[in-house]
Amino acid sequence: MTEATTASAPLGTAPLLEAPILEAVDVTKSFTQDGTPTQALKGVSLSVAPGEFVSIVGRSGSGKSTLLSVLSTLLRPDSGQLSYNGLDLTRATEAEINALRHGDFAVIFQFHYLLPYLTALENTLLPFMRGLRPVSGAQRKRALECLERVGLADKGHRLPGQLSGGEQQRVAIARALVKDARILFADEPTGSLDSATGATVMELLGQIHKDGLSVVMVTHNEQYASLSDRVVRMADGLVAG
Amino acid sequence: MNILTIALRNARKKWVRTLLLLLVFTLGVVSIVSLNFVSRVVGEGLEKKLVSFGANILVSPKSEKLTVSYGGFALGDMLFDVAYLDERDTLGRIDTIALRKNISVIAPKLVVMDRVQGKAVAIVGVRFGQEKLLKGYWTVEQGAIPGEAPVPRAAAVPAAPMPADAGSHPVSVRPALPLSSAKASAPAAHPGNGVLVGSAAASKLGLKPGDAVPLGTSQMIVTGILAPTGSEDDNVLLADLGFVQQAVGRPGKANFVEVAALCSACPIEDIVHQIGAALPGVEIKTLRNIVEQRMYSVLFVKKLILSVSLVILLTGCSMVGISMLSAVNERKKEIGILRSLGFSRRAVFSIFFAEAASIGLLAGLAGYLAGYLVSFRILAVLELGDGAHLAFEPLHLAATALILALLTSLASLVPAWKAAAIEPSEALVTL
Repeated sequence: MTEATTASAPLGTAPLLEAPILEAVDVTKSFTQDGTPTQALKGVSLSVAPGEFVSIVGRSGSGKSTLLSVLSTLLRPDSGQLSYNGLDLTRATEAEINALRHGDFAVIFQFHYLLPYLTALENTLLPFMRGLRPVSGAQRKRALECLERVGLADKGHRLPGQLSGGEQQRVAIARALVKDARILFADEPTGSLDSATGATVMELLGQIHKDGLSVVMVTHNEQYASLSDRVVRMADGLVAG
Repeated sequence: MNILTIALRNARKKWVRTLLLLLVFTLGVVSIVSLNFVSRVVGEGLEKKLVSFGANILVSPKSEKLTVSYGGFALGDMLFDVAYLDERDTLGRIDTIALRKNISVIAPKLVVMDRVQGKAVAIVGVRFGQEKLLKGYWTVEQGAIPGEAPVPRAAAVPAAPMPADAGSHPVSVRPALPLSSAKASAPAAHPGNGVLVGSAAASKLGLKPGDAVPLGTSQMIVTGILAPTGSEDDNVLLADLGFVQQAVGRPGKANFVEVAALCSACPIEDIVHQIGAALPGVEIKTLRNIVEQRMYSVLFVKKLILSVSLVILLTGCSMVGISMLSAVNERKKEIGILRSLGFSRRAVFSIFFAEAASIGLLAGLAGYLAGYLVSFRILAVLELGDGAHLAFEPLHLAATALILALLTSLASLVPAWKAAAIEPSEALVTL
């Protein structure tokens, strides 16, 4: 069932040379929808090297979003192995998973999912608002830097409703960057944006990747996929190439 | 900024919902607090009024009583010996008990039998000041209570309170005058020798204000006639205790002492026990029916208020619970994003918990303050405010706010638990 995870050269991808920081082996995941069991992942293997930009492409229902959710710990696989830096994620405790989500892993979605009642700056600071300890000056400074990096330094005081779709997505990216994560998971980050705004967001992701972050992106857009180091094609719950 | 910011900002963003919840809960608290204040005032007033319907503890010397019957002839109950209480000593000892503050009236009495116009009649020595507190139902039909100015017949009113030491003036005993000559040359009544005549006794003996009544070698002057009371007071003559003691040669003595205790906040048995300990060798009887009736009246009001309060609180809590539950469903994606950012279940739980608790806390504070102010208005409208004292207690304010915060937190348990159970995948991932 296991397929090769390296994509072919014509797609502009390169073979995995370094030891992976994230590795999925023979991962399966099924759901029951309207009483009918559906197997979304049928034994997928995939490795991500440090600093690598991997795009996952495929048609709707091919299992690419499910794979991204499994890799980013938002979903637990039914079977198979999943490890991050030597930590077996299939056996990790909830506290370990929470620590990963808060630390090394960052996720952005097709929709920004900003909290509507917090300003852009506060949304960026959200990962630091997990407890009763107030946000520190250093954390605020870091958030402002991230907003500056996504080009929204002057719009930190605005509520999401006062920002455009592209700006909202860029705040979501700033929120993902603020934690100094090591892997950024992006689930169709340009899916709800027009082409110009989408290009801006992709440019941002490219810069983030250049800064050393691993990026795993799900997209329908072949053009955007071509910007990555490697393209993984999914079809019918399997890696197709 | 911390996790509470999320809860508070959301409450601010959904201000209409928050305000409505706050309003409903505050109104509930206002009702509870004002009802509680009013019930307390009414209860206290009721107790004071109930006290005026008589004593509930009887202190008397131990005596041996025999029911004598011989040869088919019944002699009735006979006392083997008549014992007396020392008035000053008895009252002094009752004054020392720990629950003294729960005693409102201590009324000593000395009962003597004499003949007036050849007819036997009981003359009861009382301290009028205490007696009037005990018998708020007294109405003077003619004349006045000894020591008071006469009240015109048309304006006869219930006995007004007298100073607590009234009736304890030094008694001067005047020589008796024949009853026939009383009208012509009756000496002036003074606080010591005045006598208040029960309605039945007055008609039986044909007495009216100004008449002289002999007692031993002394003479009393009728100062007033009581309106019928339906009690034993109708058949007796009531005179100042000091005067009676002197007149019958038993200075400082009393047959028994009636005690009226406020009992809604203390068990009557405790007062009886403490009086018993202070007065060894003395018989103390509880007039349980009166006590229970008084306590029932006061407790009924309190139970009613408690029941209404519980219904209001339950309604408020249900509203908070339902509102929070719908908020959890509305904010599913928000919860998902928080979980994807590493917020633990406990953190998500605490956001909803804090939101509910803050509503309870604010409603408790605002409700208590408003309830306190509304109580004055209610008491004024119901004309219950005379002499009422509504004490503002900061401790109660804090306790109310905390209890409300606790209740709303409890009401949010299920919604908060439901929110904490949401997985980011089910909220965010489109499969």
